Amino acid sequence: MKKFLILAMLLLPVVAGSKDKAIITVKGSDTMVILAQRWAEVYMTSHPDITVQVTGGGSGVGISALINGTTDIANASRPMKPGEREKLKQRYNSLGVEVKTARDGLSVYLHSDNPVTSLTLDQIKAIYTGLITNWKDVGGNDAKIILYGRENSSGTYVYFKDNVLQSADFAPALQSLPGTAAVVNAVAKDPNGIGFGGAAYAKGIKYCAVAAKTGAPAYEPTEENIKKGLYPISRFLYMYLRSKPTGALKEYIDWILSPDGQKLVAETGYFPIR
Amino acid sequence: MKSLLQLGALFAALAVISISIPVLAEKSQSEDIENLKGKVDGMSETQLEILSTLNSLSKIKVSGYIQAQFQIAGSDGAANYSGGNFPSNVHQRFAIRRGRLKVNYIAGWSQYVLQFDVTNSGVGIKDAYLSITEPWSKDWSLWMGAFDRPFGFEISYSSSMRESPERSRMYQILFPGERDVGMKIEYAPEKGGLAFLRGKIGLFNGAGLPCANSAANENDNYKDVIGRIGVVLPMLGQNMELDAGLSVYSGKVRNQEKYLYTLDGSLKDWQVDSAASNKYKYFDRAYLGFDAQYYVDVLPLGGMSVRGEFITGKQPSLSGSNTFYNPTSGIDPALGLYQREFAGYYLNYVQNIGLFDQFVLKYDIFDPNTGVAGNDIGKPGAQLTGTDIAYSTLGLGWVHYIDSNTKLVFYYDMTTNEKLNSAASGSLAKFKEDVKDNILTVRMQYKF
Repeated sequence: MKKFLILAMLLLPVVAGSKDKAIITVKGSDTMVILAQRWAEVYMTSHPDITVQVTGGGSGVGISALINGTTDIANASRPMKPGEREKLKQRYNSLGVEVKTARDGLSVYLHSDNPVTSLTLDQIKAIYTGLITNWKDVGGNDAKIILYGRENSSGTYVYFKDNVLQSADFAPALQSLPGTAAVVNAVAKDPNGIGFGGAAYAKGIKYCAVAAKTGAPAYEPTEENIKKGLYPISRFLYMYLRSKPTGALKEYIDWILSPDGQKLVAETGYFPIR
Repeated sequence: MKSLLQLGALFAALAVISISIPVLAEKSQSEDIENLKGKVDGMSETQLEILSTLNSLSKIKVSGYIQAQFQIAGSDGAANYSGGNFPSNVHQRFAIRRGRLKVNYIAGWSQYVLQFDVTNSGVGIKDAYLSITEPWSKDWSLWMGAFDRPFGFEISYSSSMRESPERSRMYQILFPGERDVGMKIEYAPEKGGLAFLRGKIGLFNGAGLPCANSAANENDNYKDVIGRIGVVLPMLGQNMELDAGLSVYSGKVRNQEKYLYTLDGSLKDWQVDSAASNKYKYFDRAYLGFDAQYYVDVLPLGGMSVRGEFITGKQPSLSGSNTFYNPTSGIDPALGLYQREFAGYYLNYVQNIGLFDQFVLKYDIFDPNTGVAGNDIGKPGAQLTGTDIAYSTLGLGWVHYIDSNTKLVFYYDMTTNEKLNSAASGSLAKFKEDVKDNILTVRMQYKF
C-alpha cells in the first residue's frame, strides 16, 4: 500500500497541474486604473494573442485578489503592508515581487473659486483630522470646510493617512467617495470643498500648492517639482506579482517599463520612472 | 352704469389674481425648497447614523475554517500524532479535525479575540485574549488571556495554513493544545532600523488549556517564562527571505509525591529517590529551541520554503506519559515524577507548483529520553516504558487549492519507532519491530 500511495502522490501534479493562460488579469488601485487601461489597450493592439483585463476597486482589493489567486497583477498606489506580505508568504512561499511603474504627485484639490491657493502639510493634517473646520483659519472665506476623500480600501486613502495625517484618524465628517474622479467632481461642485487624489483626475478644479512646513515655499504637483523632490506629497505607483514573472506576464511587465510603456505614463498625467 | 361696475369689478379681480398668482407660486416654491432641504437634512442625519453603525460593525471581523477528513491507519487502534489514537478495533474513520470560529473586535490600538473549536468530540476554547498596542510607534503590544505560547515557529503557524495536517510530534508532546493562560509583551517593529527584529516574552500558568493531552488548571504558584527572539531578513529584490529565532521555556512543576525518578547513566535505567523532601518540591521544565525558515522563488514552479526547528531540554513527566507532569491532569501523582532529557527536530519542505498546488515533504524526530537507546528498553528488569521510545515520521503530501476558500490535502505519514530489546515482553513486545501505524489522511478544508 505504501508504494502505491507514494506513486499516487507523485502522479498528482500531472493530474492537477496548472493551465496555460493567454489572459493577464490586473486588479487594484483606482488611481492607476486609467493608466492600466491605456497600457492594456495599446499592448493588446500589438499583441493580439494576449488579453489584458483591467479592473479597479482599490489597492487593498487588488492585493487581496493577488493573495486569493484571482488576479495576476495587483496595482497599488502604496507599498504592500507587512501583514499582506505575510499572507502571501504563507500561501505561496513567496514574498511577492514589487515593480515600480510610475510616480504620482498626490494632489490636494480646491474649488477654482476658493481664494486659498496654498497650505502647509500641518494645515492639511489639521483640516483632515477636524482640528481646523473653517476656511478663514487658513486665509480663506468664513465658511465651513467640506472634506472629501477616498474609501479605506484605497491606496490613496492609506498613503494620505500614513504620510499626511501621520497615521492620525480622519475626521468623522469626511465624505468617502468611490474613486478619485468622484472626489474631483464633488470638489468642482462645492466652493467650500477640499479633496485629494491622483494628478490624472484633476480636471475642472485647481491644485493646492503644498509647503513642507510653515515658512517653506509651497509647490504645485508639477512634473518638474515632483521629479526634483520639491513637492512634498509624491509616491510611486506599483505593480505586485506573486512570483518573478515568466512568459507572457514577464513580456508585459518588460513592455510597461520600456520607453513605449513609459510614454503612456506621461500621456496619462503621471511621471515616468525611466 | 351697472355694467360698468361689473366690468370694473372684473378688472379688479383679474388684477388681484394676476398679482397673487406669482406670490402664491413663489411661496409654494419656497415651501417646496424648505421641504426638500428638511428631507435632505433628515437623510444626512440618517446617513451619519448608518455610517456610525457601519463603522462600529467594521471593527468586528469574523473568520473560521472547517477541516473534515478521512483517515486510514496501518492497523486497528494505531497510536499516532496524526490526529489522535484510533479506537482499539478501528483503523479508518471520518472526523471533524478542527471547526474554528474566530471573532476579533479591533478598535484602533486595542483588540478582543475569542476563538472556539467545534469538532465531533465537543466544543472548546482556543483563544480568549485582549491585546493593546502602544499607539505611537505601534511596535510594542501587550497581550493578556489565553493564546499561543511564544515559543518557536510551528506553534503560531495557523493550522489552516500549515501544509502538513498536524504539527510535529515534539510540539504536540511539549506544548499540548499550543495555548496557555498568561500575559506577554511582543515587539514587532514594521519600520526603522530595527524592523528586522522580533521579540516576545511572557509569563504563563504552565498548565496550558484543556485539550486532548492535558487538563488545565493552575496547580502551583510558580509562573513559567516563555520567550523568543528572532530576526526577519527579507531580500525583496531576490524574492527571498531568511527568518530565524531562539526560544526559551523556563518553568517548574511541583511534585505531588516523594518519588523522584532520574536516569542512571551507567545502568541505562530509572533510579528512584524516595526522600520525603521530594514531596512538593519544584523541578525544572526547561526547553531551548532554535528555528529557521527560508523562502525563495524557484522558477518556473513558484515559491519554495524550507523550515526547521530543533528543541532540547528537561521534561518532568510520568512513567506512562512524556507530556509535562501535571498533577491536575487526572494521572495518578503517586506514580512519581520522571525527569527526562529530550531532543527533537523537524524539517519541512514545501514547493508551490503553479497557482493551485503544493508538494510537501516533512521529517521529524522526537526522542523523549536521550539517555537510553531502543535496546535498553525491554531488558529484563528494566523500568523503562513505551514512553521512552523515540519516533521518526516521514510525511509526504500534496495540497490542491480548489479555490481561494477550499483546499484538498492528501498526506501520508510513515512513522518509525525505535526497535526494542529482543527480550521486550507484554505491551512492549510489539515494538521489537516497527509497528503498523502509518496514516493516510485525506482532508478538505473550507476557510473564510
